[in-house]
Amino acid sequence: MRALTFLWLLPRNVCVLILRAYRAVISPLYGDVCRYYPSCSAYALGSIQQHGVIKGVALGSWRLARCHPWARGGVDDVRPRRVPRYRITDFGFVVPASYGKA
Amino acid sequence: MDIFAFFNTLLWPIKQAIEAILVGFHTLLTALGMDPAAGLTWVLSIVGLVLVVRAALIPIFVRQIKSQRKMLEVAPQLKKIQDKYRGKRDQFSREAMQRETMDLYKKAGTNPFASCLPLLIQMPIFFGLFTVLNEANQGRAGVGLLNQELATQFGKASLFGVAPLHDSIQSAAAQDPVEVVVIIIAVVMVILMTASQFITQLQIMSKNQSPEMKASPMYRQQRILLYLLPLVFAFSGFAFPIGVMFYWLTSNFWTMVQQFIVIRNMPTPGSEAALAREARLAKKRRKSMTEDAEMLEEIVEEPKKAQRQQPVGKNRAKKQGGRR
Repeated sequence: MRALTFLWLLPRNVCVLILRAYRAVISPLYGDVCRYYPSCSAYALGSIQQHGVIKGVALGSWRLARCHPWARGGVDDVRPRRVPRYRITDFGFVVPASYGKA
Repeated sequence: MDIFAFFNTLLWPIKQAIEAILVGFHTLLTALGMDPAAGLTWVLSIVGLVLVVRAALIPIFVRQIKSQRKMLEVAPQLKKIQDKYRGKRDQFSREAMQRETMDLYKKAGTNPFASCLPLLIQMPIFFGLFTVLNEANQGRAGVGLLNQELATQFGKASLFGVAPLHDSIQSAAAQDPVEVVVIIIAVVMVILMTASQFITQLQIMSKNQSPEMKASPMYRQQRILLYLLPLVFAFSGFAFPIGVMFYWLTSNFWTMVQQFIVIRNMPTPGSEAALAREARLAKKRRKSMTEDAEMLEEIVEEPKKAQRQQPVGKNRAKKQGGRR
């Protein structure tokens, strides 16, 4: 069961890793430019954590498309899942709720 | 290999547009009497491409300037938020502060951030030109208006008649014998590119930032980048063909001039440039005021009093005195 959950969560954790790397290395190169809070990459990270790769990438892309010089910007949070199934570590990895506690 | 095919599909419309603009300018320049096969004609066509692209991006730029003006209106409320969170460095306070700030911007209908679009929008054009140039070099016709004949010309075109547009430092160094002239021209271009980029950034950083911005931690981070980013450009310059670098260089010059005009005429309120502009305007005003005063003196001195002034009562004299 645990191995299955790990496999199920693997794609989104790979994405989390990529996004974390992007936010650590590339994003600081051009500073704060996003018209929204949280910024587009933080939003994408959050939506992948909450909703998985397919829906998360779609939500993130939609946000990126909405972020342009004529957008109003402002606070635009990721919609959280109604029933949280997983826990998110400090780094951002998505793990089963029981992980590390049992 | 599939990922390249995917990117090629994405780039297809951009390549179409690039080829149309390049060929358009090439036709125009040929009609004006330039040699269609000459390198200069193609180089100027690339300049034309830059002009079209940058002119198309002006609205984005104007939009940014306008919202910077509007920032002055929200400055008092912004200061209130900053005071509220002064000295609070923990993550939650930072987050709450950012939220409130963003909310304020939204309500005021302004935003100092440009989004990443202005940064990203030139990338596809850049890669589009890169592929068009590469394919032309291999003697392949383009996807659009760049037909076989034009593609062959474009592939053979060179800067100053010695540095082929498709050559990069890398490819010139790999040749036997090594093409020293090409390398020298390319290195000079990399230096010019890096320098123009650096000067533009330095101008913005040192002259066109408000004191609040200069005090923020973001500013310090940007200062490091100011020195780091040109290095990145310098290194990436090795792999880019001269034609693409020429596009980049011209584009950089455009940015530099544009930035210069903005810093001079529409500086960020509260910045050093804004103070300099006010000083300049005040000086102009003082100058015109002294000129006006001199002119008035001449006018006032001229007419001789032909009419005897009516004697007036003490009280009336006082009233008139106030008016004079």
